[in-house]
Parts: sequence; structure tokens; C-alpha cells
Amino acid sequence: MGFSITSEKDLSRVKKLFILLSIPVLFLVFGIGAGIASKDFTDILSGLVDINLSPTILITDFIKIGGVEATFINVAIVGLINIYFMFKYHLKINGVLIAAFFTVLGFSFFGKNIYNIFPIYLGGYLYTKYQKISFKDIIVVIMFGTALAPMISEISFSGILHPAAAVSIAIITGIFIGFVIVPLSSHMLRFHDGYNLYNIGFTSGIIGTVLTSILRSFGITVQPVHIISEQNHSIIVVIVIIILIELLFLGLIINRRAILDLPQIFSYKGRLVTDFTHLVGYGVTFINMSLIGFLSLAYVLLIGGIVNGPVLAGIFTVIGFGAFGKHLKNSIPIVVGVIVTAMFFGYELNSTGIIISVLFSTTLAPIAGNYGAIVGFFAGVFHMILVTNVGVIHGGINLYNNGFSGGLVAGLLIPVVDAFRKE
Amino acid sequence: MQHEEKKLTLIINELLTLLLLNGAEEIDVNIKRKGDASEITMIHRQCKYDAKFIEKMKYNLNTQRQSEVEGYYWQLVGEDDSSNELHLVGAMIDTAEVDMKQNDLHIFLVRKK
Repeated sequence: MGFSITSEKDLSRVKKLFILLSIPVLFLVFGIGAGIASKDFTDILSGLVDINLSPTILITDFIKIGGVEATFINVAIVGLINIYFMFKYHLKINGVLIAAFFTVLGFSFFGKNIYNIFPIYLGGYLYTKYQKISFKDIIVVIMFGTALAPMISEISFSGILHPAAAVSIAIITGIFIGFVIVPLSSHMLRFHDGYNLYNIGFTSGIIGTVLTSILRSFGITVQPVHIISEQNHSIIVVIVIIILIELLFLGLIINRRAILDLPQIFSYKGRLVTDFTHLVGYGVTFINMSLIGFLSLAYVLLIGGIVNGPVLAGIFTVIGFGAFGKHLKNSIPIVVGVIVTAMFFGYELNSTGIIISVLFSTTLAPIAGNYGAIVGFFAGVFHMILVTNVGVIHGGINLYNNGFSGGLVAGLLIPVVDAFRKE
Repeated sequence: MQHEEKKLTLIINELLTLLLLNGAEEIDVNIKRKGDASEITMIHRQCKYDAKFIEKMKYNLNTQRQSEVEGYYWQLVGEDDSSNELHLVGAMIDTAEVDMKQNDLHIFLVRKK
């Protein structure tokens, strides 16, 4: 059961950090390289400015706003900032940190940029000063907590207020979000008992609903947008494949038996907190991340979808949570439930909205892991029904809309299923 | 550390659930609080656990203190019927000793504030 991982090479914390560091560096190299090769570098700088000055409300694809090269550099900058915090605070590179890192990277393709995440980090830092605790204690929550970053961009750049007042109010709002997200997210876990992996998505959905309601009370309407790249870029697919191959090889280098040991991971239900790096080791974990990443990418390409910003966020989040609760056995029943429901209601499976619902629905993987494939399938059905409707409640300021929906599904479904269970 | 007393209670709750699920009929629990450290001793009387179970328990409880994991997920400890959160308990304690002494399972945990 993974209590003795004798076949695994011991990796130092710094080496693990370098593995994570390689990903933003890859995006930086490709972003700058492709920019130099294809166009004037000033285009990339203006693309970065456009990304940082956009309202970023769901769904705003940075590839459409600033171009591929500028988006890569945005991903690299956000990634490097988080690597710096991991290094500075000597964080153990465990499953939750890997999940948080990949989630932040993924959402830097749509929604997160240096401008709108900064106030949330500052709010978290002020919270630690107020509580007299270390910033290290809350950094994971703050990394995930940038789900509400669009609130800052929306207030700043949607033209609803005078620019100077708008930026001030936006930054204060961001600081407030960072300050309250830690106690709230911890408390919200109890609503779904750890069966919704994107717990911050649920928390952010609640906070977002309150903040959007306040804005609406002042006659300010927050409306979701639909700015999506409709063009496939081969360079994006190539980079994702490079990252997945890197994880595969690293897994095999760290543990030569990793593929043989992979079935061990299927015995874990995936409920929070299931840290695969501890339970089955880094070798098997990296192989698992690579496997579910390849299948996610293959699914998108096979159904003729576009690998744009939101889809990349979905793929990267799935890869990240391959270290923290998700594997094929507990994810597939949920995904099948979502796909069947989408087909039943006549949605186009290759549309970006449905693709990201399929990918992010794996937030409910612990339900299939704990209660079996049939209950998992129905969790997917309910998720599909809810996720297409709950975005309007928070007006699109919560990037993890699927986490919000997943929290509602898990919180409602688990007690009902338990009610039918016998001792 | 915020909610210190509640966290100690949840740690004990998680371990008690695990032992009760394994058929425990008699369990002694002792808590000593000395300055910044709290010591929890739990003894499951008259029990049989194989070496694999003991090793797994030691491995999960000695996962290393991880304040960032504790800060976020501590409220899930002891909340589930299946008692699968031992490594989360491990992230909330500094040292753990698990041993079979004759027919009794001895668990000794130290948590510093």
C-alpha cells in the first residue's frame, strides 16, 4: 500500500523545485524565442500590456487578447513568482503544492496575470501579520485563492469607475479577498467533506456571489464575456507534449518500477487530502500526471477541440491534481457522466465551454473513488447540469466555476447517497 | 497557532476512529501539555496488528510537519468514517512512535505549537 517506496531514488527539495522551475522556463524560452523569430518584440510587450489591462472576466482567453508569445511570457512570470515563494519559504514539494502550481500556471492562460494576483498575495501576507503566523502556512491557499483575480481586473478596467478610484478600490478588494480566503476556504471544506478537489473554487464562488451582489446593488452589472481563441497553434500542443514527456521520463528515472507500481495509485479514493507524492512516491506520481495529461490532450484533439487558454487551464489543472487525488479509475466515471449529459442536451462536445466542463469535472473524482463508478457517473450528470448555470450567480469573476459547481454537487449528493447506505 | 485545542481533539478523533474501525474494545488516551508541546499517548489494549500495518502507520504519521497543509486542511481531520487521514495527522505533528508492546498497540505523538 505504498508505505515503503524502496525502489525510488531520493530527490532533494531543490531538485524537485528545479523540475517545477523547468516549466515556466520552457514557456519563457518559447515565448521569447517565438517572438524574436516571428514578429517585432514590441508586439509581445504590447500583448503583455493588453493582458494586464483586460478585465479578465470568464471567459477571457489571453491567447486571443495578447497573442501566444505574450501569453507564454505571462505564464512564465506568474510561474516564476510562485517558484520564488516556494524557494524562499522552504516549502516541501508535496502533492498539494504541485497541484496549486500547475493550477496557477494553467489559469495564467486565461484570467491570472501579475497585476491581478498581486493584491491577493498582499492580502494573504497582511493576514499572516495580523494573526502572527508565517506566510508559509497559507501560501497554498493564496496560490489557489487567485481564482478571484478577475474581480480586481474587472473593477480596474471595465470602465465602471473613474480610473484612479477604480484601481484603488480594486486593490483594496483584492487585499480583502486575500485576507479572508484562508479562514473561509478551510471552513468551506466541511460543506463537501473533501469530496470536491477544487475547494477554493467553491469558496471563491461564495465570495464572488457576495461581491457581485454588492456591485449589482450599486447598479453595476458584471456580465460574463466570451473572448476565446478559435485557432489551434501547433507550438502550444508541442509544449504540452514536451512537458508530459518530461514528467514521464522523470517518473521512470526516479523509480524504474514506476509503470509497474502505477496500479497502486488506483487503490486510493482521492478524497482531500490524498497526497500521491507521499503515498506512492514521486516516480509513480509523475507517471500518473503524465498519463492523465496525455489522455486529456488526446481527448481535446480527437473531438476536434481548440487547445486555447481555457482548455490549457483545464489540462494543466488535471495534470497538477494527478499528484493530489486524481487518477484514471476515479476520474473516468465523472467524465463519462458529463459527456453523456452534454450529448443528451445537444451541446457541441468540441466547444470550449463543454471541453473545460469535461476536464474540470474531475474535481469530483473522490466521489467515484469512494462511492463507485455509478454514483460517480451521476455526480458527473449533476455537475454538467449545474456548471452551465451557476456562472451567472457570480457574474464570471470566479475562475474556478467548476469548483463552485463541484462543491454544490458534492455537498448535496454525499449526504443523500449516505442516507441510502446501510451499516 | 490558532485553534490549537480543537486541532488536538481532531487528531485524537482520527486515531480513535481508526482503532475503533479495527475492532478496539479498550483504548486508553492520555494528553500532557508541557509549555509549547503537547504529547498524546494512545494505547489499544489486547489487539493484534501485523508488522505491515504498524510500518504503514509509522510511515504515514512520520510524513513531516507541514504547516501549509495543516493551515488549509486541518478541519478535515477526523471528519470521515473511513479514517483515511493519517498522513494529514502526520502533517500536523512533529514526531510519532508506534510500537506493539506485548499485546498492546502504543502510539505516542508530539505536537509543538
